Amino acid sequence: MTDYLRKPIKEIHELLKKKEIQPIDLVKECFERIEKNAELNAFITLNKEQAIEEAIALEQKEVDNLFFGIPIAIKDNIVTKDLRTTCASKMLENFVPIYDAEVVKNLKEKHMIIIGKTNMDEFAMGSTSRTSYFGAPINPWNRKKIAGGSSGGSASAVASRMIPLALGSDTGGSIRQPSSYTGIVGMKPTYGRVSRYGLVAFASSLDQIGPMTRNVEENAGLLNIIASYDEKDLTSAKKEPEDFTRLIGKSIQGMKIAVPNYFMSDIVSREIQEKIEEMIERLKNNGASISYIDIKHLEQAVTLYQIIGMGEASSNLARFDGIRYGYSEKNCTSVEELYKKSRAVGFGEEVKRRIMVGSYLLSGKNAKIYYDKALKIRKEMQKSFQEALAHYDFIIGPTTTTTAYNLDEEMNDVSKNFMDDVLVIPVNMAGLPALSLPVGFSKEHLPIGLHIIGNAFEEAKIYQLASFLEKELNLDLEGGASHE
Amino acid sequence: MEKLTQEEVLHVADLARIEVEAEKLEKYSVELKQLLNDIDKIKDVEVAEDEILVTPTHHFASMREKDKIRNEDFEMIRKNLPLSVGKFVSVPVVIKND
Repeated sequence: MTDYLRKPIKEIHELLKKKEIQPIDLVKECFERIEKNAELNAFITLNKEQAIEEAIALEQKEVDNLFFGIPIAIKDNIVTKDLRTTCASKMLENFVPIYDAEVVKNLKEKHMIIIGKTNMDEFAMGSTSRTSYFGAPINPWNRKKIAGGSSGGSASAVASRMIPLALGSDTGGSIRQPSSYTGIVGMKPTYGRVSRYGLVAFASSLDQIGPMTRNVEENAGLLNIIASYDEKDLTSAKKEPEDFTRLIGKSIQGMKIAVPNYFMSDIVSREIQEKIEEMIERLKNNGASISYIDIKHLEQAVTLYQIIGMGEASSNLARFDGIRYGYSEKNCTSVEELYKKSRAVGFGEEVKRRIMVGSYLLSGKNAKIYYDKALKIRKEMQKSFQEALAHYDFIIGPTTTTTAYNLDEEMNDVSKNFMDDVLVIPVNMAGLPALSLPVGFSKEHLPIGLHIIGNAFEEAKIYQLASFLEKELNLDLEGGASHE
Repeated sequence: MEKLTQEEVLHVADLARIEVEAEKLEKYSVELKQLLNDIDKIKDVEVAEDEILVTPTHHFASMREKDKIRNEDFEMIRKNLPLSVGKFVSVPVVIKND
């Protein structure tokens, strides 16, 4: 097997430009790596025939950008024209979209090659990817551990170096948490920075697509491609194009950084706290100042997520009715029976629970008692973040409270998996950008992530801080991939 | 209360348009109640804010121009239809003449 894909994208780009290699070499290597790592269950659908065809066609084109001919994987809740998109659900097991998501259109315009669709929690509902109808993806650092979720397949694929880049989606930490568990770089951009058009909606006011990569620079480069104004998404931000890599390598001298006390409280394992304290010392030693602060309502983040997330999900998933697309129960004698039976069989347990609770929360007087109150708390939390970020450049802390846990850990506690995202949910509530950066390992040699939160639309600054630490730490992050 | 009654589960399932099999009623009674207990904690939270935040946009949302957009070809849409007759979507009886 060739070994081009372990090189930085800048080096691969040079090889492509000099015609020393062709995109087909990358594509072939990619599929070989995927086959060798099949037991990680990172992919639901491969796009082999089409990817090979596209790679060959690219030989006739000029290499016109850094990501030309580079293979990429897409989370399976982002629609891809003529390529099955399942949301890891029986409901969409045979669904073939008729259009491309805006982000996919952007990737194709740069002649990136879509290799396949990655595994995930069903409809992105979960924190371990174990709710997938296709079985859970596995953490390459330790094959008895979860890869996290919901973008667990993208995380596993990048961490094992099957592929250099992937897209994920993040509703309550679903890019950052699996990135932390698998030792990769995951960015949730500012709400509105990346079009949600073609992302199968879970909770529309929280959902955001973002890049998952091996390192910071490639992450920023991929965000350059997927960030764009899109009139098809009402919440898309009309921003001038910018280069998110432009601050990489710049000094962090004088930066003001805040650490919320809650992020370092006893909900976080001692081992992770120590690693984050080590990073704080490192930042101080390099000219940054650190203050400990309080942000309002961080303790209520999970409850807010349950109310807002499940409420929006119950509404968004009403479209799966067994009539227009998706699983449809046969021999029903009424439309009502068709809805109920198709949804009972097509959805998995986690999804059904969330839809039921969401429907209850939005019904009658409950909407006032729960939903309205949650939206007020959400506003107060956002204001508290804004006040903090008016004084500080960043807010930091651990991405997760523990490292990746065992795949066979019981799933009976229906509240448990929400707590896995307790540190990352607040960012979705406030619509801020945040990144998880691998900063070291536990005693079990499982990755630990640092969570860097920035002001709205200041992703470039987040990359500046992240790249500084990445360079300082110089970690070996190739986790358990079987290449040979 | 440790769990919902079976009637409450059936009511919630009805709102959600999801059929619940009899043997799963007990499981949902416990699980839904556990989630609702978590959610109930919000009642005790003190909040001074009167404004609500529905969508965390940091910019003005802009509406697109009113314009006719050509739909995708019906033939492409039809491929994902569970059941169709010619150019029509086929569904079971909507109104019964009892």
